[in-house]
Amino acid sequence: MIRLHHVAFSRSFRILWLLEEMGLEAEIRHYGLTDGSLRAEEYRSISPAGRVPALEIDGITIHESGAIVEYLCETRPEHGLGRLPGDPERVPFLEWLGFAETQASILASLNMQHLFMGDPSPASPAVLRLEAARLASTLKPMEAVMKKRDWLLPSGFSAADTMMGFNLFSAPYFVDFARFGALRAHIARIEARPAYVRAREKDGVQQFYSKPFYPVPEEA
Amino acid sequence: MEIRLHHVDESRSVRVLWLLEELEVDFELVSYDFFDKSLRTAEYLMLNPAGRVPALEIDGAVMCESGAMIEYLCELFPEAGLGRPPGDPERMEWLDWLHYAETIGQHCANLTQAHVVLYEPWMRSSTQMSLEARRLSKVLERIELLLVDGREYLMETGFSGVDCAVGYGVDLARRFVRLDELPGVAEYLERLCARPAFQAAQPEADARRIYAQDFYEVPDA
Repeated sequence: MIRLHHVAFSRSFRILWLLEEMGLEAEIRHYGLTDGSLRAEEYRSISPAGRVPALEIDGITIHESGAIVEYLCETRPEHGLGRLPGDPERVPFLEWLGFAETQASILASLNMQHLFMGDPSPASPAVLRLEAARLASTLKPMEAVMKKRDWLLPSGFSAADTMMGFNLFSAPYFVDFARFGALRAHIARIEARPAYVRAREKDGVQQFYSKPFYPVPEEA
Repeated sequence: MEIRLHHVDESRSVRVLWLLEELEVDFELVSYDFFDKSLRTAEYLMLNPAGRVPALEIDGAVMCESGAMIEYLCELFPEAGLGRPPGDPERMEWLDWLHYAETIGQHCANLTQAHVVLYEPWMRSSTQMSLEARRLSKVLERIELLLVDGREYLMETGFSGVDCAVGYGVDLARRFVRLDELPGVAEYLERLCARPAFQAAQPEADARRIYAQDFYEVPDA
């Protein structure tokens, strides 16, 4: 039995999507960001930090989305979605997994400061400006790659792409994608994948964003 | 095998420098100053377009993510026993801690930005800083919970590459979070600091440091 603890539109979507790509049956437990369900006693025994994702699989529980992706690829190699030790693409595969989290940390910081600190947010406009610029600078190398090929790795679709299943859908709330044409085409390619469509059907309603774009506020 | 690490004292590249010292392999170290423009030269930007450290040149490839470097270096030098390869009983835990290091690192980076990089008080938000410090403390609790069984390092079987990844974060976190209520974490950090390879990865006595203070209090709003 595989059980994924999930918040719609969060990092755990990376895993939801990958499970669909692998055709693995999983029970999805949904949590809300503001209803206290992540802080409930029952969930604390699964994730002491009260965060998602958490994946119960093979008698163990894994919390970090990057670790879950690696674990699923290594224990289910028949799907060919990882690049395992010895593979010529091992280095770029690991690099993209790391990069996904580097980029996600900027998104998490923007989410927190724009969405979870009150309205109006007491966040510093200087920091928000810096973070948005930093996010845009991480999108540039991805844009360059997507001008050359359809997926992150030259050999084709991999779990490195599913790691971006959080990033590429959150980033447009903070950075204008008008200048990232290849990335927009890439997102359309993702949205055309049947496994992605199935994953979105199970994802639930996103509770993060109440408007389509969050500009940097005017400096005081 | 040619290995060249591009490094800034006290930055994430410490993880990799420390691991290379633990592995006892030959490598070349290229050091940069965090405060001058040396990471912005055209030559460096060719290596890492984001102008960040670490960058690791290894047999013609360039890597930029410290977690990926740790995993790859442990695979390249299996005889050192610092990785837990696929199939190892501790593999899953090892991967989880490797990635968790970045969860810790992100809060440290946000706090570093607010306390150290943004030198103008009006640029900061004390709400954000206290929130980040609380979240950092919360993520350290997971280490405290792990260590209650008496193990010395994150893996029950002993020191490994994930201690370099996580340990660097703990060493930074002590500047933003008091470890009094996390005695297991404090002892773990002492054990790490006693390792010769950790000490070899620290700045020279007269080096200019990113962290001038031992502890950074959240300023009043």
